[in-house]
Amino acid sequence: MSSPIPPPNSAPRLFQPAQAAGRRPALGLALTLTPIAFVLVLLFGGAMLLAVLQSLGFAPWFGVNTFPSLTYFKALWASQFFWISVGLTLYYATASTMIALVLAIPLALALTKAFPGRGLYDYIYKLPLMIPYLVGIALAVLMLGNGGILSRLAAYVGLIDDPGQFPAILKTHYGWGIITVYVWKQTPFMTLAIYAVLLGVDRNTEEAAAVLGASPRAIFFRVTLPQILPGIVSSSLICFAFNMGAFEAPLILGGGFPDTLPVIAWRYFNDADYTLQLQGMAAVVSMGIISGVLLFAYLAAYRRYEMMIGRV
Amino acid sequence: MRRPRLTDRLSPFQRFYLLAMAAFILGPFLPLIIQSLAFRWAWPDLLPSEWWLEQRERSIGPLAWDYVFSPYSRVLEATVNTVIIGAAATILCLAICLPAARVLARERFRGKSAVEFFLSLPLILPEAAIGITLLMVFIGLGLAGSYAGIIIAHLIPTIPYMVRTLTAVYQGLGTEFEEQAMVLGASRLQVFLRVTLPMLMPGVVAGALFTFLVSTNIFLLTFLLGQGRIITLPTLLFSKVSGGTIDASAAGITVIATLPGIVLLLLTERFIRQKAFDGY
Repeated sequence: MSSPIPPPNSAPRLFQPAQAAGRRPALGLALTLTPIAFVLVLLFGGAMLLAVLQSLGFAPWFGVNTFPSLTYFKALWASQFFWISVGLTLYYATASTMIALVLAIPLALALTKAFPGRGLYDYIYKLPLMIPYLVGIALAVLMLGNGGILSRLAAYVGLIDDPGQFPAILKTHYGWGIITVYVWKQTPFMTLAIYAVLLGVDRNTEEAAAVLGASPRAIFFRVTLPQILPGIVSSSLICFAFNMGAFEAPLILGGGFPDTLPVIAWRYFNDADYTLQLQGMAAVVSMGIISGVLLFAYLAAYRRYEMMIGRV
Repeated sequence: MRRPRLTDRLSPFQRFYLLAMAAFILGPFLPLIIQSLAFRWAWPDLLPSEWWLEQRERSIGPLAWDYVFSPYSRVLEATVNTVIIGAAATILCLAICLPAARVLARERFRGKSAVEFFLSLPLILPEAAIGITLLMVFIGLGLAGSYAGIIIAHLIPTIPYMVRTLTAVYQGLGTEFEEQAMVLGASRLQVFLRVTLPMLMPGVVAGALFTFLVSTNIFLLTFLLGQGRIITLPTLLFSKVSGGTIDASAAGITVIATLPGIVLLLLTERFIRQKAFDGY
């Protein structure tokens, strides 16, 4: 059932040992994949399945078993605050992904040029990638809080004379603090992904376009952007998915009730009333569904585009 | 890799932009370090009116860095836990992913696309959803609040990266050298240890560093599954930051939590340069 794939650029083989190139018996194959399957399918997949079952009313260990019923979803979805939460979660995830993308593209393009300090700059721009989100949150509190550095600078130049006059950036539902942390942390990730794609594409096409009289604007939108699109799509997909499920930034920097979906799910799950755990599971599953549907639609749109321009 | 081109120099805008981004990324660390060294830093002063060192002689109780370095802050415990969990997760992840990557890179089999789909799921599903559902299962299995539980949980977000890195390396490898070793009478173990592993080393190092990095940065899974019993640098930081204010000791712990990332950054840049992150 397994057949060897010829490795690229390999010379024709005179001798083919059974083990090396894929005539392995099915049992050996299954054994090789067992550990990874154990973690991903049994543990991770099992947990996901259990979450879906529980959200549908299956929790015999609590003495609750109304499976299958949509009671918990209905209770959750009937609340207008749930939909505000969905809106907030989507808003934070989308806004920060888009801002990070807009910042990352020019950065990746600039990094393809030679300049003094290029090696040092590699260290600088990758730093946020390496450290926990909570460091970013701490920095946001220091910089953007009412008593923070920006507020002090505003006082220094005479714009305000009391910390209370500084506009609230943190702990509002506009979420500028949350978005700033995500952008700070994820711009390097996107830059890296786009830069990696840029290294692989033929940049001479840009020059060709310039020689043929295209404006810099046209070159960017007609030549460069389509070339780096795979990097844009993959990195924004991962960042958006992460932002949908991020917990600590909305909890600490968010505006409180109504919270984002992950925070809601966590609050339900930690509630003293354990039957609310089922409600929490419904929130978790809703979050997975919303995130999954959006990512799927995004990927499908991208595939269609790739097909349209004839790259796939 | 780089060809000299007409447009190979920075435009004035790009020069400004690079500086602005560097300021955006590094700028906030300056007040962080100042805050960790401050004793009194009232609004609207741009610099502290009294510094830690000035007060150190006069104070009875530990201040800022004294606190950070004292056992009360639990910084050492958290650092040790972070490293142990990261190292264990990295070794386990490698052990699991090496055979899987080999199969995925070289063989075609029924259900391969299903395996690949499962491999991308942890990247796509929200971390909170993964954490809460795993917690439910781990409570049932008695793994909640244990090192084993946290290490297993850390495998889930790291496996996709590790498999991708190793699969890419395996695909570029070809099988000729292994075949020649076998023809010359090497055993399978010898082939793996003497031929395959050395050739895989760049990928193994890259994957291991990245896995360790991701593991040391994970907050939510550790927070949920550790049940408060096991603290790492991110969860310790959470307990200091969650109040929404940063005092001198919180700033000091934030600085400490940044250090592993800086060390890993130096290591990754040194050992693998750009290659490691290609494809992410």
